Amino acid sequence: MNVALAILWKDLVSEWRSRDRVMAMLVFSILVAVVFYFALPMLRPEELSALAPGLLWTAYLFSALLGLNRSFALELENDALAGLALAPGNRGWIFLGKAAANWVLISIVQILTAGVFALFYGIDLVPALPGLATVVGLGTVGICAAGTLLAPMAVRTGFREVLLPVLLLPALFPILAGAVEGSGAAVAGRPIPFAALQLLLVTDGIYLIVAFLGFDYVLDE
Amino acid sequence: MSARLLSLHAVDKRYASVTALSGIELELGAGQGLAILGPNGAGKSTLLRIMAGLAHPTGGKVQFAEGAPQRSRVGYLGHATLLYPELTAHENLVFAGRLYGVEDPGARADQLLADEGLSGVANRRARGFSRGMAQRLSIARARVHAPELLLLDEPFTGLDEPSAQRLSLRLEGLADEGHALVLATHEIDRAARLAQTALVLVEGKVKRRVKAEEMSEPFLRTAYAEALEASP
Repeated sequence: MNVALAILWKDLVSEWRSRDRVMAMLVFSILVAVVFYFALPMLRPEELSALAPGLLWTAYLFSALLGLNRSFALELENDALAGLALAPGNRGWIFLGKAAANWVLISIVQILTAGVFALFYGIDLVPALPGLATVVGLGTVGICAAGTLLAPMAVRTGFREVLLPVLLLPALFPILAGAVEGSGAAVAGRPIPFAALQLLLVTDGIYLIVAFLGFDYVLDE
Repeated sequence: MSARLLSLHAVDKRYASVTALSGIELELGAGQGLAILGPNGAGKSTLLRIMAGLAHPTGGKVQFAEGAPQRSRVGYLGHATLLYPELTAHENLVFAGRLYGVEDPGARADQLLADEGLSGVANRRARGFSRGMAQRLSIARARVHAPELLLLDEPFTGLDEPSAQRLSLRLEGLADEGHALVLATHEIDRAARLAQTALVLVEGKVKRRVKAEEMSEPFLRTAYAEALEASP
């Protein structure tokens, strides 16, 4: 557990000082909001509101891919990934530390992105906040669990920018299905369907367990 | 020979159709120094990474003497520094200490920075360090958990002569303190000073072994040249 906390601390301090990951993700998310704003100018507010969850998750998903790739690209600088792999004990804790740091940084970007979407599309997200936060938080756990497991494999190949989406996106279908459905309900002021929450919780649990146990092999050469 | 610390039996390493190492046999005693010489691509780094536990052999066995698990007994210094550029020197060592479960990582970091003459730059970010300073910090990082064995992969690469000389003296000091050292290098003079035995690796195979009683710079040079000549 100490190892996971040490890695969480290291990633957050490094990001606080460089801000390169959060900035890259945020700029991308805002660009998505701007592009869709100009692409869909004639829609009525209620139509925009219905589209918002899908647009929001498009921005969330692709900015998360950017952040996950960058998270391990930074570990390759100075071969720091080898430094992590050399640490004794269960490497699952390394996974948990990296995944937690990814979750925190991606969540910060998601909060800011939601604010930008609300502003651009004139949607009042405040009443939807508890439900939306629950769904987005759970969806992001799944993205971070699967992404943190697959990103170290992807960044060590010559196709690092391409390989992560190819590996990760199929694994995220259940997460996205639950998250978009749940977010749509939250934004529309409806209760979040139990099936969507169940799908998110079960997928998160499976990915966390598989990644915790499998990370040992991911870091091996 | 001192008590055996590490032995490799018939170790092979293959990457798809490429054989990086083949039939490696070696033994290392506690507190001993071993130099691994060889041209680029001979398999020196792969061998060190297997000893460190970073890579698994595809065949054969790596055995440490009974005690703590392999990764906690090894300190590794590779081509790269393993440092985080946005963390300060002190933070890098505290972080490494926490990875290894060191009891008081802050105090250990202070002690190591003093050992390496880096106390004055403890609070400077590693990004601004010269290659020589980064290498000294990297050695401190490798020693953070007081390992029995230090694995050094081309530690003099990229250093100017005064820095390389300082590093060489520091490594001699560590050998005197009882650390076992395995040094992969092209620099025969430094290998002869730091190690008691040597082996020459060519195309993943041990082509020549130099025993402790034969070890001297001229002998090592000759043995290295002969091993290279004998290879196709």
